[in-house]
Amino acid sequence: MNLFGVLEMGGAGMSAERLRAEVVTSNLANVETTRTPEGGPYRRRMVRFRAEVPHASPFQLAFERSTGGRSVRVDAIVTDQAAPERRYQPGHPDADGQGYVAYPAIQPVAEMADLLGAVRAYEANAASVQAAKQMIQQAIEILR
Amino acid sequence: MNTPISGLRILPAEIETGLGREAGAGPGFADTLHSALQEVDRLQGEANRETGGVLAGGTTDVHGAMIAVEKADLAFQLMLEVRNKIVQAYQEVSRLQF
Repeated sequence: MNLFGVLEMGGAGMSAERLRAEVVTSNLANVETTRTPEGGPYRRRMVRFRAEVPHASPFQLAFERSTGGRSVRVDAIVTDQAAPERRYQPGHPDADGQGYVAYPAIQPVAEMADLLGAVRAYEANAASVQAAKQMIQQAIEILR
Repeated sequence: MNTPISGLRILPAEIETGLGREAGAGPGFADTLHSALQEVDRLQGEANRETGGVLAGGTTDVHGAMIAVEKADLAFQLMLEVRNKIVQAYQEVSRLQF
């Protein structure tokens, strides 16, 4: 791993967690959304993370295998296939023949907990970036 | 914010007469220093590009720009300390009395 490998891994973690927070926020914003461009109610989205070898020169890669350090990236944003929640609201413009409206199957409390998790994970990654920076600075201090 | 330090390039003539390599030896010290300087310069360019991207609204990763700036800063600090050490050694030698 090069001098900045830890910094880059921490940065990748921060990027991934930021995207997760974005997806969760989108779920929270659309708790009551009954119309989407694809038709039907909004469907809950989730991120899927994937560990990957940080892209580097072949020389660095050869060294990388021995340390086993893995970066992270968002592999895909998957849509929850759970059936929408049906509520009886006859006056609603999106109500079907029997007066039921399909609402997204989203639990706001669960989404809030997920959001908190993303924020805390972002914090932890920021702390690892800080730690890596301090280590490099300590090494430079030796020269002084 | 960051002025490129590529202007500080060592002139080829100086390399040949001064700190040049011996015949058949590996890369000279001046070459090593030169490539280190180029690396610092590259990192500063990257930091400039990243911050520019964030300010212009092109990228959304603020932390990416911050990390790029930190990398450039650390590389510059290291380069500066190495330079200080070299100048210090040179001054020690020039003070030698016979």
